[in-house]
Amino acid sequence: MSVSRDDFSIAFRSALLQRGATQKFSIFSLIIVALVVFFLDVYGFTVVKTARSFINDVVYRVTYLASTPTRLFPGINQGIASHFNLKKENEELRQVIERYKSLDLNLEYISNENKNLKKVLDTEDVKSVSNIVLAKVLVDRNSPFLKSIIINKGSKEGIIKGMPVTQNKYLVGRIVETNYLSSRVLLLNDLNSRIPVTFDEKSTQAILTGGGTRKPTLSYLPEDYEFEDGITVFASGKDGIFSAGTPIGKTKYTGEVELFVDPNQLSFVTVNLIKPSKEIF
Amino acid sequence: MAKVNIINKLFAAGPLILLYYLSISEIDTNLEKLIEVFSINLQIIIIYFWIIKRPNLMGTGHIFLAGLINDVVMGFPLGISSLSYLVVCFVGNYVRNKSVNTTIASDWFTFLIALLFANLLFFTLLNNFSEVAISYAKIGYNTFFTLFLFPVFWLMFNLYQISFIGAQDA
Repeated sequence: MSVSRDDFSIAFRSALLQRGATQKFSIFSLIIVALVVFFLDVYGFTVVKTARSFINDVVYRVTYLASTPTRLFPGINQGIASHFNLKKENEELRQVIERYKSLDLNLEYISNENKNLKKVLDTEDVKSVSNIVLAKVLVDRNSPFLKSIIINKGSKEGIIKGMPVTQNKYLVGRIVETNYLSSRVLLLNDLNSRIPVTFDEKSTQAILTGGGTRKPTLSYLPEDYEFEDGITVFASGKDGIFSAGTPIGKTKYTGEVELFVDPNQLSFVTVNLIKPSKEIF
Repeated sequence: MAKVNIINKLFAAGPLILLYYLSISEIDTNLEKLIEVFSINLQIIIIYFWIIKRPNLMGTGHIFLAGLINDVVMGFPLGISSLSYLVVCFVGNYVRNKSVNTTIASDWFTFLIALLFANLLFFTLLNNFSEVAISYAKIGYNTFFTLFLFPVFWLMFNLYQISFIGAQDA
């Protein structure tokens, strides 16, 4: 019995403290460092916040560069998806062939980017153009747990936490983290997202709740409320963050909301430089 | 000769490059466009496999750094992914110390323990010390698919090891 206990403790200690030619640090020491970093970050010391902001800016840029291959070959992901839908794949391939006939890849990329920019400029209110910041999506990594995107504008442009983010005047989400050169946008379908909304002729009030799925749901509705398809949902503005009347999506009979903007297809967004009337974070 | 050496070194660095690339790039293993509930934690599979088979190819310092990068990109509190990766490393090291030879079945079983410990720590810390809310159903699906697909990646990495690095186990 004592021999097996000795074996256990030797293997345990060795696994925790062992170092070698390539293992320059023991797991134990790294666990301690990771715990220190975690608690420093969680309890938000100023030095750590500044360091994190700097690290974020650098890492987001590197992530953007590292993801260039996936941006240059956007058809790859679509190709995988289309194996499950041959008809759709056929249509997409036809479109791709048509496009390839007239444009080479580089030109297509640049012209699409230009088109998107024009679209954004056309649809945004020209009078309030000084109150909006056009931003490019740097990273839209699809985490199973957090639905967020990184944009290429930060506190340098006057962006602060809580500011609403739109695309073509449709609500996309809000800023939850700002760095000097970049920001993180929490999307409407994230589990942590709660937006007061209003909809239908009676101006029914509800909370749009993200569930981590593609479509957020409406909650805190009047008792026995029956959903109808196709009613437009607007931000009510009661939280003092989002402008009242910003369109969000259309209701489904299941209580879900089909968003006007697909959160997985964002390339350019606009940040409305409206100072939130209260700090909610 | 020198050229062969460089190629060998590149092949040997493959798993580490893949780990860093998965942490820093936009490539994700959350194929919710195909199946809404599908997501796997490929980093944990990579770390566990190579720590068991070839620990000399997977430095703990690199694993720590990859975790930090992953936290920044995903928006988690710094150090939380590093901790969960290091727990996987620890279980892998322990299993390697205790076993003479491993099979796909034994690795699969011990991976379950590593995965449970790593996820338990990750979500306990996130739940108690962070304001980020996480769906328990998503955690369950993620753990299930990661565990379920482990043998597939085990076979792929084993093939890579035999073909490009050498068949001998650690």
